[in-house]
Amino acid sequence: MSARDTILSRLRETLRQPHLPFPPAHSDPLTHAERMTVTHAEGDPWTLAERFAQELTAVKGSCELLETETEARLSIISRLQLWVEEEQAARKTAEAERAGDYDVLSWPLEQLGIESLPLILKEIGFKLIEPTDLHDPQQRERIRPIRAGITTVEAAFASTGSFVVGGRGANARAASLTPFRHLVVIPFSKLYATGEEWLAQMRHAGRLDDYLRQSRNLSIITGPSKSADIEGNLTMGVHGPKVVHAILFDDLQQ
Amino acid sequence: MQVDFNAPYKNRVQQALNDPNLRVAVSKATDRMTDARLASMDAVEGQKLRSQVRQMKQHVLRNWPDYLQQLESNLTRNGCTVHWAEETEDAQNIVRDIALQNSAKLVVKSKSMATEEIHLNHALEEVGLRVVETDLGEYIIQLADEPPSHIVAPVIHKRLEEIAEVFQDKLDMPPTREPTKMTSLARARLRQEFFAAGMGISGCNFAIAETGAICIVTNEGNGRMVSSMPRVYVVVMGIEKLVPTVEDAFLQLQALCRSATGQNLTVYCSMTSGPRQEGDVDGPEQVHVVLLDNGRSRMLARGYGEALLCIRCGACLNACPVYQEIGGHAYGSTYNGPIGAVITPALAPEISRFKELPHATSLCGACREACPVKIDLPRLLLDLRSDLVQENASPKTEAWGIKSYASLMSSRRMYESLGKMASIGSNLYAGMSGGNIKFMPPPLNGWTAYRDFAPFAPKSFRQWWKERSKLRGQT
Amino acid sequence: MHKATFEQRPNRVALFVTCMVDMLYPGVGIATCELLEKNNVEVVFPEEQTCCGQPAFNAGYRNEARKLARRFLSIFGPLVENGEVDAIVAPSGSCATMTSHFFEVLFEESREEELRRQAERLASVTFELTEFLVDVLGLANTGARLQGKAAYHPCCHLYRELGVDDQPRKLLDGVEGLEVVDLPHADDCCGFGGLFSIKNSGISAAMGRAKARSAQQCGADAIALCDVSCMTHINGILSREGISCRAHHIAEILNNHLGNSLRPPSQPEPQQPDHPRRWGD
Ligand code: SF4
Repeated sequence: MSARDTILSRLRETLRQPHLPFPPAHSDPLTHAERMTVTHAEGDPWTLAERFAQELTAVKGSCELLETETEARLSIISRLQLWVEEEQAARKTAEAERAGDYDVLSWPLEQLGIESLPLILKEIGFKLIEPTDLHDPQQRERIRPIRAGITTVEAAFASTGSFVVGGRGANARAASLTPFRHLVVIPFSKLYATGEEWLAQMRHAGRLDDYLRQSRNLSIITGPSKSADIEGNLTMGVHGPKVVHAILFDDLQQ
Repeated sequence: MQVDFNAPYKNRVQQALNDPNLRVAVSKATDRMTDARLASMDAVEGQKLRSQVRQMKQHVLRNWPDYLQQLESNLTRNGCTVHWAEETEDAQNIVRDIALQNSAKLVVKSKSMATEEIHLNHALEEVGLRVVETDLGEYIIQLADEPPSHIVAPVIHKRLEEIAEVFQDKLDMPPTREPTKMTSLARARLRQEFFAAGMGISGCNFAIAETGAICIVTNEGNGRMVSSMPRVYVVVMGIEKLVPTVEDAFLQLQALCRSATGQNLTVYCSMTSGPRQEGDVDGPEQVHVVLLDNGRSRMLARGYGEALLCIRCGACLNACPVYQEIGGHAYGSTYNGPIGAVITPALAPEISRFKELPHATSLCGACREACPVKIDLPRLLLDLRSDLVQENASPKTEAWGIKSYASLMSSRRMYESLGKMASIGSNLYAGMSGGNIKFMPPPLNGWTAYRDFAPFAPKSFRQWWKERSKLRGQT
Repeated sequence: MHKATFEQRPNRVALFVTCMVDMLYPGVGIATCELLEKNNVEVVFPEEQTCCGQPAFNAGYRNEARKLARRFLSIFGPLVENGEVDAIVAPSGSCATMTSHFFEVLFEESREEELRRQAERLASVTFELTEFLVDVLGLANTGARLQGKAAYHPCCHLYRELGVDDQPRKLLDGVEGLEVVDLPHADDCCGFGGLFSIKNSGISAAMGRAKARSAQQCGADAIALCDVSCMTHINGILSREGISCRAHHIAEILNNHLGNSLRPPSQPEPQQPDHPRRWGD
């Protein structure tokens, strides 16, 4: 008998025993109706956005809320510029500028629907790096030194300040993982009160199962990378980004 | 002083008790985690959350084989390769073969108790692989060549100065006491390993049966790294780590984060459903899932199924006053603290191999109060003690002592004369040492080594009662 | 656990004094008895009683424990079932836990359904002393007076198995002149744990010393508690460590057994306690 069959039949046999102390014979599943929503948030999109900002800030991320697409575009640009300045200032050496300073590891930004964003970024000197195959040693080396990443999200949850990034197609997992700073752009239309609400909507629309299956990887991210392993001292940016900055903008007005 | 985990139980405990640093480090950290847990559980309907997660997990166990098969078929459908391992060696062989087939030389690992349980690092190193732990805490203890001493905080037993020494000794770091500097160095070193590794290994916090997704939870991001960067990704999961649906997973995730570290959510919860497909930028080309029994089915059959509800949050360790005194290494097993004292013997081929552990507890119940799935750990420890007696694994003198006590107590006459004798004897003896008894013969010297004992009362309650009844003319 | 509710105020109870109180701390038993009688509850003491079997159960010797459990049920069962007493009262959270929780475990395991049901019935009318005084008799004050500072230590079985915590605290608050202070880490186990205190004496004592440090930290003259087993352990540690604070069973405090003051009088005045006192050294 294969290991699989041995294990499965052993379990079946044990579970058939009438006096097995545990689990009880009647162990009902948790139904969708009774399952609780753990954290709560409510209100209009702006209220939710404010809550998101508050929660993300509490876990040492940062956040901006903007009224229009135009403002969002401006903010993205100035944030990336600010980061370049910060990086250079931190070097404290004569040759503060380096070749890769303006490289940004990026998802295809067209999906954001912010008009001409990639174009303007390119015009002012940023290089949006969109790798196609990160098992290719050359491309792998190329992204290694990149200090900033920019992505959008699948969804964001106000009650915990979390966002979900998927990893399939041209959306590199690395963009939200390997750089030191992560700029995440969240349109209000992707913002949900809670994770439970997002799941309920997907489930209701009959998309949840397929969606998860087709997402080879989904990560729920809540703030920048951190550890308390060194005698309880909080240190940031252990493996993932040390800086997580979210730009939320109202795309529901138009 | 270090706890030598190969020493006998008694010595390990003594070494731990003799180490003042250990108690400070452990109790500081466990108090902090306990406070964080209580605050975050109080912020939500914590009791309801615990009941619901328990109900959900209990249902899984009742339908265990069905859910396992569902998971298996969904994983396969998603393009993962599923392996089944009955015992430690089987799991070791499976992972070793995957590594050899893919000519991996360097393996990066994300903290995982299941792989500790099967001593996987050692098994891979034996065939010439280099294995690097990437969780900061695990990295430190790997450098120090020690096993983890806590389920979620592996280096909880070391103070800042001791960790600084490890960095100096093993990584030639200039002397520093700054945690941020140590972290930066670790980041830089480990970044090289992530990019160079041919294989990533992680455990699994939970697997979703309905979609076939493997979820791992980290705060540092190493879990995402090991599951995204190398070409081959291997998951070693205990067969009990199952949830039926995505919503159940989200519920358990929140219970886990709140109980483990008091966070609303962990920084990263990464769900892998399958290998990279045509057109994907990154992700592993192969995903292997090793379903590990290693005593779990035995545990169910022995009647310890309740312990299979465990979601490995570590809250019971943090709440345990014994763990606070001796830390994890004194237990001498992969899993320690209250849950370790239960599952180590219950998973083992013979319970009596770990006969000290069920007794390494005062049964105070703080663990049950902390547990997010309300496992009745004290009850399970009592059951294990009973099993040990059944297997004749208890000391002969103890068995004799308890049996004599039980027959004495079965007769009022013997009980009363014992009381009188003890009273006279202990008062005479106490008189010699000046009021309290400071020495007693074995096995009672265990008492007087640390505490005084007052003599028996000259007149028992029942004598008083009798005399009073007589005075009042009652019988 | 299901607890009986009484239509009429119970006026007769059986005292389960526990073997340790009987032989080692008769003062606690006397105090318990007097507290009940003062409040117009007649006390019956079934003299056949010995030990409930907890040490055997705790150590894993279930057959021996069952033997003593059967014996206990045969003594107390008829009293309750014939209506001779309304309830069973014990001055110990730990022994009350044994008879009202673990007896059922024992008979469930041996599949002695009749005994299991009897144990369950008895459990519903078994009360720890302070639980009985507050929940059943509705008492908030026992009329006790005592000068000094005391901290309450919740013994684990009482606190976590029986869920009794407010009751003893309330009664202590009612003691005139007594300043009740918070014991740091109050709900940490003192480290007694029965057989644990011998088998793992090093750990047990380390936990006891942590408790002793807490007592020192809050400046209490006395630690009040509801179990003489934990009291023996804590006092053994305090005495060995040379700390003057002492643990006292709550019944003795509530029944004025400790004199007027917890502090040693500045001038030694002859103080004769009515009843045998222990740990007075
Ligand atoms: S037994 Fe409970 S508290 Fe302990 S690790 Fe498991 S789930 Fe957490």
